[in-house]
Amino acid sequence: MNTRSARIRDFDPVLMLAALALVAMGGLLIYSASLTQFGSPSLGDLGHPVIRQAAFATVGLIVALGIARANYRVLGVLSVGMYVAAIAVLAFVVVAGEATYGSRRWIEIAGTPVQPSEIAKLVVIIALAKYLSDHQDSIGELKVFLTSLAMAAVPTLLVFAEPDLGSAVIFAVIWLGMVLAAGAKWRHVAGLAGVALVSVPFALIGLINDYQRERIALWLDPESDPLGAGFQSLQAQIGIGSGGFFGKGLTQGGQTQLDYLRTETTDYVFSVLGEELGLFGALILFSLFIILLWRALRVAELSRDLFGRLLATGMVIFILLQTFINIAVNVGLLPVTGIPLPFVSQGGSSLITLFISLGILQSILMRRRTFTVSNYYDT
Amino acid sequence: MQLPTSGSRRWRSRTSEPRPIEVARRRSLLLRALIIFLFGVLSVQLVRMQIVQHEEFNARAESNRLRTIPELPARGLIYDRFGEQLVENLPIFSAAVVPADVPDSQFLVVVAGLSEITGVSTDEIARDLEDARKSGDPFTPLIIKQDIDEETAFLLRERQPELPGAQVLVESIRSYPYEALVSQLLGFVGRIDEQEYAELRSRGYLLNDRLGKAGVEYVHEAMLRGSPGYRQVEIDAAGEEINTIRTVAPRSAGNLVLSLDLDLQRQVERYLIEAQGNSLNAVAVVIDVNSGGILSMVSLPSYDNNILTDPVDQEALAPLYDDPAKPMVNHAISEVYPPGSTFKQVTGTAALQEGVASPDTTITSRGLITVEDEYNPERTWIMRDWAALGTMDFYRGLAMSSDVYFYYLSGGYYQGGQEIFEGLGVERLSAYAREYGLGSLTGIDLPGEATGSVPDATWKTDTFGEDAVWTLGDTYNFGIGQGFLTVTPMQLLLVTAAIANGGDVLVPHVLQDVVDEQGNILQHIQREVSNTLDISPRNLGIMQEALRQAASYGPARTGASNFVTIAGKTGTAEFGQPLADGTYPNSHAWYTAYAPFEDPEIAVVVFLEQGIGATNAGPVAKNIFDYYFDRQRLVESTP
Repeated sequence: MNTRSARIRDFDPVLMLAALALVAMGGLLIYSASLTQFGSPSLGDLGHPVIRQAAFATVGLIVALGIARANYRVLGVLSVGMYVAAIAVLAFVVVAGEATYGSRRWIEIAGTPVQPSEIAKLVVIIALAKYLSDHQDSIGELKVFLTSLAMAAVPTLLVFAEPDLGSAVIFAVIWLGMVLAAGAKWRHVAGLAGVALVSVPFALIGLINDYQRERIALWLDPESDPLGAGFQSLQAQIGIGSGGFFGKGLTQGGQTQLDYLRTETTDYVFSVLGEELGLFGALILFSLFIILLWRALRVAELSRDLFGRLLATGMVIFILLQTFINIAVNVGLLPVTGIPLPFVSQGGSSLITLFISLGILQSILMRRRTFTVSNYYDT
Repeated sequence: MQLPTSGSRRWRSRTSEPRPIEVARRRSLLLRALIIFLFGVLSVQLVRMQIVQHEEFNARAESNRLRTIPELPARGLIYDRFGEQLVENLPIFSAAVVPADVPDSQFLVVVAGLSEITGVSTDEIARDLEDARKSGDPFTPLIIKQDIDEETAFLLRERQPELPGAQVLVESIRSYPYEALVSQLLGFVGRIDEQEYAELRSRGYLLNDRLGKAGVEYVHEAMLRGSPGYRQVEIDAAGEEINTIRTVAPRSAGNLVLSLDLDLQRQVERYLIEAQGNSLNAVAVVIDVNSGGILSMVSLPSYDNNILTDPVDQEALAPLYDDPAKPMVNHAISEVYPPGSTFKQVTGTAALQEGVASPDTTITSRGLITVEDEYNPERTWIMRDWAALGTMDFYRGLAMSSDVYFYYLSGGYYQGGQEIFEGLGVERLSAYAREYGLGSLTGIDLPGEATGSVPDATWKTDTFGEDAVWTLGDTYNFGIGQGFLTVTPMQLLLVTAAIANGGDVLVPHVLQDVVDEQGNILQHIQREVSNTLDISPRNLGIMQEALRQAASYGPARTGASNFVTIAGKTGTAEFGQPLADGTYPNSHAWYTAYAPFEDPEIAVVVFLEQGIGATNAGPVAKNIFDYYFDRQRLVESTP
């Protein structure tokens, strides 16, 4: 593949800047939320969450720029291998991962906790994009539909077993969005939805464990145990609600600064924003996300091959869904799940994954003009 | 636009289905709509929370952040009239835990830690803590164990960092150095119970508060407690105080000075114990006949109120409840007895005022009178006097405590259906008894007062049924303080005090002054009169003289003092089942008197559950008068 055919002028700075703005906003919130525990950050102190996040963002940016220069179509070639590896790692996590807050999601690599489900999401997007684009002409066939379903179902069940209900939902919806974008038949999807709906009550009774059931019960009524497990959800809502329109000001939020919020640099970082920057800050955040997603969708539209298009679509769904679920949990619309807020939450795995995604998107953009007939019929 | 042909594509799909690239374009529009929709949902929810419900959430954030820690003032102290301190406030350590500050994840750790330190079982702590967390007030410390020693307190403080929510509570408890001597008066302070808390929480009482449960501690609770203050502090999620926002200092209302004379109390208790004999109970009360202040009040047996003061000494408590002599009951105000001949003060003054008798009214006692049955003339009853006392005028009749004399005054005398002597009759007699305050509460500032009963015809039928008609014999018994009439020693004392002070039935009181910490008087308890007797000064004077004579040559002379002239009256009230010959094996001994005769200061009542008034009760009164006036003489003669 010819890297010289990549065109720098097709690089989308708006997409990159929107993401960096989100990271910067996240940095401010992490700074505020970690102030009581860590104090002000000093350069080079990698123990401090803000410095760590900045370091990850820098690494992520370099990786993204590197990937942008590469040809994303290589990913299609590698997709089978990556997929198998990702499934293996997810299975390993279920068996031997580190437990936090009642579920196994982490493995340790060189002393750093890594959450493989983040990178696995990206791998599944790539694998699905590859498979669906390879079978674009037979997408209407049930066999192709079900094969793609099986590809998504394996990682879905594995993260569900961790248990990580949120990630399982994300895998499922990524698949749904991608098959629809690839042109799957509505009646296949509708049939599957029917099966899913019928099985929901059974899933609630049988598959969901006590820990998840409790979380769902608490989401329905956080006041039922205000000092216990409902604490996080309730305190997050109190924080956001008390923020008002302009918020209490960065580092001025009582809920944040007095440690009423837990995991306030990761899953509940939005509560910090809600309390300290208010509705105003939230709307800015939303605007940045919408710009980012819009520009990512533009990539899908500009891509002239289905693989690139599906890759971009999958990433949009991935980012949109993570964002929605995370914020919906914070504002009490969804039960508690450990889904980070893309680009904003503290966490290396998530941030690196996202920057890789950005790099792939840029790569698609910069190679859209290298479209050839032979590429298109590359089946 | 037509794509290049594809061999694998079927014709039908080419015409009826759009090409994948078209599908993707359309579906990406759908995705844009979804993005807008989802962010719209989030925005709506945020507007709802941050704009519509902002105030509500803000209030909750505030109440999260701020905690009001109540601060109780030191409980007011209590002194006797000469400044002797009767109570102390002692600090104790208690192991406690703030339920709201125990994180879920640490619950078992905290329970286990507290159990290890205090020795209280984990089950008990876990159950109480679980209950307290669900209660409406999880911020009030839950007391795990009271009165832990210093070592345990130190250990708990040391381990606090690993046991979030646990704390050493410094509480103030009452101690009563004079124990049983003044316990009946002072009462005690105990832990608030559930019912009390439900009633009092609106008045600032706390879940683990203490309050007066008996005696002065109970009655004057409001003054002793003062007004609690509070500290509003900012706390973090672990319950650690970050800083103090606002302080409202607690205010103690003041200290109490009782009219009690502790020195006299000590002597009265001693004299009474010496005279108690086989009496189950004995009572002596000394009152200031002018102010109504109680100088001494002893009810035997008494109890050590430190046992009941929280933390309660359960082991020592059980015998107190089982004791038939009821040591926790103040017999001076809470038990009623027939007053016996001491009631002749009432019958006598009533007869004088009603013109039934005058000082010159002479009646002869041959040791008994016969009473014809009102309904069966064939039958006669015999009413005895304590001796054949001969012919007596009013003074001698009262002084010698002739029952026959007072049968005449109360019921009159009849022979062959003819009235030979007009008596008061039950209605007039009961009316005067009520004038003196008998049959109703005296209003003393102590809890648990009994009313006693003043009988009349209605009372008898109400109590014993329609067939129980009032008889002449009932009136005779009433007139000499026997039968259905019952009084508390305090009520009887007020009768004597009213005669002494010229007709004022006083409201007795234990509290004299409320003072501030420097001893300045904030409030002085004013003399209060529940009733002014409708008896002329002349007639009261006649009774005073009769009482003086009683204490000089009558049976009441056993109470006469070496230092002052007293006026007094004995009583020997029979009770229980009569023997075959109509006499009673058991009698209560009474003595009631005031002194000095010329310028009355104090009145005394002595009651022994078993005994003869003159023999057993009189000498106690004499000792009290002697001590009181001798001491006064010594004080006055000292330059």
